[in-house]
Amino acid sequence: MNDIFIDVDYAQIYKHGQKIGGDVFLLSRNPENDQIVCTLSDGLGSGVKANVLASLTARMAHKLSFSPMDLTHSARIIMNTLPVCKERKISYATFTIADIRHEEGEEVKVNLVEYDNPSALVFRGANSYLWQPERIDLEREGAFKQEVLGHSQLKLSIGSRLVIFSDGVTQAGMGKALPLGWRLEGVRSFAQAQIEANPDISSHDLAQAIVCRAHSLDRLSAKDDITCMVVYVRKPRRTLVVTGPPFTVEHDQDLVDKISRFEGKKIVSGGTTAQIVSRLLAKPLKVDMSCWSPQVPPCSTMEGIDLVTEGMLTLSKVAIALEQKKPVRSLPNDAVRKFIQVMQESDQVHFIVGTKINEAHQDPNIPVEIGIRRTLIGRLRKALEDNYLKETSQEYI
Amino acid sequence: MGKKERISVKICVGTACFVQGGADLLLYNEFLDPVVLGGCDIEGVSCLGGCKDPNAKDRPPYVQIDGVIHGDMTQEKLCKLLSEAVHA
Repeated sequence: MNDIFIDVDYAQIYKHGQKIGGDVFLLSRNPENDQIVCTLSDGLGSGVKANVLASLTARMAHKLSFSPMDLTHSARIIMNTLPVCKERKISYATFTIADIRHEEGEEVKVNLVEYDNPSALVFRGANSYLWQPERIDLEREGAFKQEVLGHSQLKLSIGSRLVIFSDGVTQAGMGKALPLGWRLEGVRSFAQAQIEANPDISSHDLAQAIVCRAHSLDRLSAKDDITCMVVYVRKPRRTLVVTGPPFTVEHDQDLVDKISRFEGKKIVSGGTTAQIVSRLLAKPLKVDMSCWSPQVPPCSTMEGIDLVTEGMLTLSKVAIALEQKKPVRSLPNDAVRKFIQVMQESDQVHFIVGTKINEAHQDPNIPVEIGIRRTLIGRLRKALEDNYLKETSQEYI
Repeated sequence: MGKKERISVKICVGTACFVQGGADLLLYNEFLDPVVLGGCDIEGVSCLGGCKDPNAKDRPPYVQIDGVIHGDMTQEKLCKLLSEAVHA
C-alpha cells in the first residue's frame, strides 16, 4: 500500500433556478500507474446548453489527457468539436485539467492545463504558493478570440493542496456584497484561513466551505454555477478490520499481535473474535445496549479497539449499504452506521479474515443472508474500491 | 429484612441468537414489568457459547440468569423467569 494518499473531492451549487449544471467535474483514477486525472469544465451560458458544452469538453479533455497526445493538439481538437451556440454564434467552454501522478517518494507531480478558468491555487500547509504558468497561444483557425492555454508542472509534497474552481466562485457577490465579486485574492485568503483554522481539513470539507461561502456572497441565490474541487496530498488514514477467529487456536496470539502493532483505527467484527481479543489483551468487553436495530445486533466497546461489532449480519448489512451507496444519515444508529462512518473516514482498509468455521452458523434455521465470510469480504472490498475509491488489502489467518 | 440481591441477566447478542429471536429480547424495556426491571441488572454479552455446544438440549436464543443458561428464550418465558426470580 502507498504511503501517500491523494484526496480529491469537489462541491457544487447550480445557478439559482437551474436543475442542471453548466460546470462539469470528472475524476478518474488509473491504479496501474498511480495516475489521477480530474477535469473541471464550465460551459457557455447555463442549464442544458452549458451542460452539453461542458460535458463534451470535460469528457474529451479527460480522455485525451490519458493519451500521449500533445496537449495543445488536444485543446485544438476540443475547440473544433464543440457545437456553436445559436444566440452568440460561438462555441465556448473553459476547462482545467489536472493530471496527477505519484511516481516515487513523498511527492506528487501535477501537470496542470488551464484554459480561461480562474487560476488554480496551491497551498503548502497554509502558505499560498505562487508560480507563473507557461503560456501557449493556440493560434487556431476560425477562433473568435485569442486562445491561450496555461501550462504548469507542479510538485505537491505531503500537506499540500491544489484548489481549482469555476468563475462562479471568483465572481460570487458581484454587484451585491462586493462590487467586483469575491475575486481570486478573496478565495485565496478564505481558503488560507480555513486551512489555518483546521490544518487537516479534508478536500470535501474545504471544497464545501468555499462553495458555501461563495453561495452566501451571492445571497443564497447563485448567479452562476459554483464549483470547487480540491486535491489534498497527505498521509493515508488506515483502518484494520479483523473478522473471524483464526483457523487454529495457536494463531490467536498472532492475530492479537497484529492488532496491537497496527497503526490506525481498529475494528473487530465477530463475537467470538472479540472474545479472543478481549481475553488475550486482558481488556473487558462490554455490550453497548443503546446502539442496535432490529436487523443488526448491538456493538460493544473495548479499550484499544475503536469499534467492536457482531460479525456476519453486520458485515452483510455493511456490504449492502456500501454497494447501494446509502448515505450515512439515512441509516439507523447501529453498528452498520458506525462501521460505514469509519470506512468513509479511511483511505486504506486492511482485512484480516479468520478461516475457522463457526459451528453455530451451520444450523439450517439460520437465514441465508449469513453467507460465507470470504465472499462477504470480497463484496465489501469491491464496493469500497469501486464506489468509494478506497485502497483495500486482505490476508487470511 | 435485608436488602435483596439484584438478579444478573445476560442476553446473548451473538449472530445465532440474534437472528433466532434474540433481537426481540433486547426490547426488554418494553415488555418487562417495571418492578421486575428494577430488580434486574440486564446486559448484553457477545456469546454465551450455548449455540456451539453439540450436546445442548435447547436452542438459541440463550439468556443467562444468575449464572444459569436458559435456551429457547422468548419474551413470555423471560417475563415469567424474571418475575419468579425477583419475587422469590
